[in-house]
Amino acid sequence: MNKIRISSIVGVCLLGAMIWITGCQDPVNGVAERSSVDLNTAMSGDTTGYARARPGTELVFPADYGPHPAFKTEWWYFTGNLDTESGRQFGYELTIFRSALAPETPGNLGEAEAQSKWSSNQLYMGHFSLADLGGGQGGNDQGNSGQGSEPQFYSFERFSRGALDLAGSQASPFRVWLEDWSMDGGPDDLFPLRLRAQEGDIALDLTLSSLKPIVLQGDKGFDRKGADEGNASHYYSFTRLETSGTIGIGGDLMPVSGTSWKDHEWSTSALDENQAGWDWFSLQLSDNREIMFYVLREKDGGSGQFTNGMLVQSDGSYSPLSREDVSIRVLDSWKSPHSGATYPSGWEMSIPAHDIELTITPLMQDQELNATIRYWEGAVSIKSNTDVTGRGYVELTGYK
Amino acid sequence: MTTRLLRLSSFRYLLKHPLLMALSILGVALGVAVVVAIDLANTSATEAFRLSSEAVTGRATHSITGSRDLLDERVYRDLRLNGSIREAAPIIDGYVSAPGDPGRTLQVIGVDPLVEGPFRAYTGAADSGLDLGQFMSARPTGLLSAFTATSLGITEGDSLEVAFEGKRFVVSILGLINSESEQAARALDNVMVVDISTAQNLLRMDGKLSRVELIIPDSEGGASLLQSIENVLPEGAQIEPSASKTDTLAQMTRAFSLNLVALSLLALVVGMFLIYNTVTFSIVQRRAMIGRLRALGVTRREIFQLILGEALLIGTLGTILGLFAGVALGTGLVQLVTQSINDLYYVVRVRSFDVSLWSLAKGMALGIGATLLAAIPPAREATSAPASSVMRRSEEETKLYRIIPKLVWISLATAVAAFGLLALPGNSIPLSYTALLLLILAFAGLTPGAVILFTRWFKPVLSLFGGVVGRMAAQGTVTSLSRTAVAIASLMIAISATIGVGVMVNSFRSTVEVWLSYTLQADVYISPPGLVFRRNDATVSPDVEAVLRNAPGVAAAYSVRTAEVTAGGRPSDLIVVEPGPQRDQGTRFKEGGRIWGDADELEKVVVSEPYSFRYDVHVGDSIDIATDSGLKTFSVGGVYYDYGSDLGAIMMSRKTYEAHFDDRGISGISLYVEPGKDVEEVIRSLRIGLEGKQEVLMRSNRSLREASLDVFDRTFTVTIVLRLLAVLVAFIGVLSALMALQLERARELAVMRANGLTPRQVWKYVTLQTGFMGWMAGLFSIPLGLVLAYVLIFVINQRSFGWTLQMEWSPAILIQAVLLALVAALLAGVYPAWKMSRAKPAEALRDE
Repeated sequence: MNKIRISSIVGVCLLGAMIWITGCQDPVNGVAERSSVDLNTAMSGDTTGYARARPGTELVFPADYGPHPAFKTEWWYFTGNLDTESGRQFGYELTIFRSALAPETPGNLGEAEAQSKWSSNQLYMGHFSLADLGGGQGGNDQGNSGQGSEPQFYSFERFSRGALDLAGSQASPFRVWLEDWSMDGGPDDLFPLRLRAQEGDIALDLTLSSLKPIVLQGDKGFDRKGADEGNASHYYSFTRLETSGTIGIGGDLMPVSGTSWKDHEWSTSALDENQAGWDWFSLQLSDNREIMFYVLREKDGGSGQFTNGMLVQSDGSYSPLSREDVSIRVLDSWKSPHSGATYPSGWEMSIPAHDIELTITPLMQDQELNATIRYWEGAVSIKSNTDVTGRGYVELTGYK
Repeated sequence: MTTRLLRLSSFRYLLKHPLLMALSILGVALGVAVVVAIDLANTSATEAFRLSSEAVTGRATHSITGSRDLLDERVYRDLRLNGSIREAAPIIDGYVSAPGDPGRTLQVIGVDPLVEGPFRAYTGAADSGLDLGQFMSARPTGLLSAFTATSLGITEGDSLEVAFEGKRFVVSILGLINSESEQAARALDNVMVVDISTAQNLLRMDGKLSRVELIIPDSEGGASLLQSIENVLPEGAQIEPSASKTDTLAQMTRAFSLNLVALSLLALVVGMFLIYNTVTFSIVQRRAMIGRLRALGVTRREIFQLILGEALLIGTLGTILGLFAGVALGTGLVQLVTQSINDLYYVVRVRSFDVSLWSLAKGMALGIGATLLAAIPPAREATSAPASSVMRRSEEETKLYRIIPKLVWISLATAVAAFGLLALPGNSIPLSYTALLLLILAFAGLTPGAVILFTRWFKPVLSLFGGVVGRMAAQGTVTSLSRTAVAIASLMIAISATIGVGVMVNSFRSTVEVWLSYTLQADVYISPPGLVFRRNDATVSPDVEAVLRNAPGVAAAYSVRTAEVTAGGRPSDLIVVEPGPQRDQGTRFKEGGRIWGDADELEKVVVSEPYSFRYDVHVGDSIDIATDSGLKTFSVGGVYYDYGSDLGAIMMSRKTYEAHFDDRGISGISLYVEPGKDVEEVIRSLRIGLEGKQEVLMRSNRSLREASLDVFDRTFTVTIVLRLLAVLVAFIGVLSALMALQLERARELAVMRANGLTPRQVWKYVTLQTGFMGWMAGLFSIPLGLVLAYVLIFVINQRSFGWTLQMEWSPAILIQAVLLALVAALLAGVYPAWKMSRAKPAEALRDE
């Protein structure tokens, strides 16, 4: 699935210096320059010395809610679709990535008296985006921002080392934070889970509780990503999280409610040589079912053999989806004015075995994150051949 | 048409006296060279300092600092965690030495690469990428400027040994920083960029940062952001604009630089006398011609312009030559100047010598301006007299005689004015130097009168040496007084300058020697190697301290801690002492006294004399010091003598320090050896006990005293060089003045030759005369030199640095001065004497 995060995080190891070194050379071109890193280069990190995902490993909770620092990469990922009472729509993404920069933890310098607390092999990266999709009637929202505003997309990226409490993660009570962006679990359980992020005058403060049990992706949480042994991840999701809280834009605080999705994945993986990128879908249907599906795109345009997904029923039971179960047709495309990359924009997804025919449409075209590694991660709306509708999130990587 | 002819005649005249012209040009050149060299050395040092601080400051607009120049790293973390500001970067900066290349100092900049983007752009490492994992790991790794790496003979992947306060580390060089521009390359020269973690380990700043830098927009939003950050800062942390720190540091050397400039101007003043003399001589020589020209109808104005034109030619040629010489001299002086700055103030590295156009322009203006200024009086004299009298040589002497009484009165008035200026309240250094210049002029004005008196008194002595010839020689000094007086005055000024500066340095040195003898009472002094001699704030590691305190044979141990704190809003040196019976004898008070053991000891400090002077702080006043627990007010209990730093220092007891600061470290320790024990023996056993621990400097009382005096001498090297240069200018001045005088006498001597004077007697005549003049100049320079020394010691030094010095002069300096004058004068007589003794009287008389 969202391997963008793998690539980003590996990319950071490689690019950290560049961000810093070229970061302010040219504030305008600097961003584009940073983003122009080839995905394969970014993902061809050395995996020696790190733990690898093994089949048959049983996930244990609450311990596995927390970090796995021996693995090279890990992320806690939240997306969701939210509305104000008046119908103004929002999509959000808050993801905190952890990356081990080196297999070994800071050892002993041989000078017990001078051991800086800053040295660390753990790097954290955060992505926070908010899609203000507009809509809604005037006057009902708190504050008087009035009429549904023009759609607007905000995205932010930040980095910190896992040291000095600047950033970190722990299993229980669950907490992952990157400076003042945080994901806090309840005192005894993962839920209710509170997400907080703010950058400038864009803010998010949400409380999440799960309406369904945990979903272990792949084979009991073991998800194969490539032909090589160890090229796999441990991966679980919470696919329907009841969400309420506030969103702040420009000083206006708006109460919102809706549905979120949580992923937590850790691995020491590399992209196969012929893989180009992926399209990843997380869809929440109005009949209380959810679909996770990703297509690993090959360089020749086809979909790779490790393409797969999961269908979650309304009672919480789930069954895997294989490459053969699902067919996807691209309906439209969108060319980014920021990066010049052309992305697919709108899909038809059919899963005949389950009698599912969906039309997936971006709620806003420009939801591209010009982060260290550029990708599109956006809120989508879903229509179907029946009266079932839905909302979801789509992630597109490796497009040029 | 007339102008062209006049020019031609003037040009031909100058060509006819190539040697004189060359000497005049050389005199101006030297004066300009000294001024330009000092200016260039000063600006190069300042520029180097600005560049190195810019390499660190980057684009930051503000910085948050703590007390003692250290900021708790938690201040940064809290700013980040409460989301106060995004554009914030932690910085550690410091210096390490590279043992593999003795004498090289590397500036270590510790950064967090993850938040550096907006602050600093180090380009070049991008193509190879940087392994963040290694950079942020606990092993020492860093980036080095490409230029520095090349000069150290290392490259990417190699390692470099560095030392800090006696501990050595091997740093792996992960990459090189290339710079696109020469400017950027210079800013990064000798810079090593490391991760914050590495910087903390290398510089032993566990838990601390040097500061947090911020980028705050210059807008209304920025102002409120600044306010909101200020509100959340803990006690002891403060926010200030980034430039202010650099400015403060640059100001530390202001008095030092200013005095160098003033001394260099002295050389130019001596050069001015030389010009005056040359122009006067040229007019006197052409007296007849000028008279004829006037009679033919050439206007005064034209004559005036002609003379000034000649001076301008000499001045311009001399100045151009001086600019070149100044640049050459400056490259040497800049080393001396930066050495002094490093010894006294802060670490600065000058890689390139900046030849700023501004310095050259100043030198040009000064050189030509001074020449014109010196040429105006003689030019006016030549043109103001009626045409008929200009033609008569004797007229000039008669006139001088007439005005001598007036000159004496004017000189005395000038001297009174000078003392008046010195008595004015306030601490203006330029005003003090103006007074100094007035005193010099006053003495110069008294010279003609003094020459007449001395000649009258010493004519018998000279006749004793040389009979009639001796008497003639003495009388000759008076008969051509208009020129001899100027020559004597120039020589006197130059020699008195050497006396003044010499006595000042001597007095300073002996005062420091006395001070060292009572301050340094302990037997052994131990401190880690630091980079600025007089401000060693390195830290002795605790295990070393334990060994030292408990070593056998040690009767008592007293620690000292040096830290930089903000007092009264200014960075100041804080000296923390451990009081005790032996130690207390080391401090002598100018005002107040010991405060240790007072009931309110914890609220009291004492300050050094320069501090008291600089900030006008006296017993009973109070000082606000930023401590680790916020701003605290201390009352001043005493002012003590200290010659260690002109920046001044605040002293408090260890007890007081620990009550207000979280620091338990010490910078040095002094040991008293048990009576009867051999100091060297104790040092040897200490060395064995410290084997394998932090490297420390262990100095006996005597060697520390010597080291201190070495630094003192090094500091005054520049002064001594300047003094020698002033002597050189004076020497050339005397050479040209006396030579001119004697050459002018050619006809007179020819008449004497024709009347039977032998060549031998001519030798005797000339030598006696120049010798007599030199002797007078030397004699006159003694009172002036002592007055100059007095002003330098008690006024200028006081006003620049605030030190009380004991004036101390030895007869040796005075005898030296007279001998110097005598030798210069005698040497100056050699060429004219040789020339005139060989000249055929007939030829010399022919143009009659």
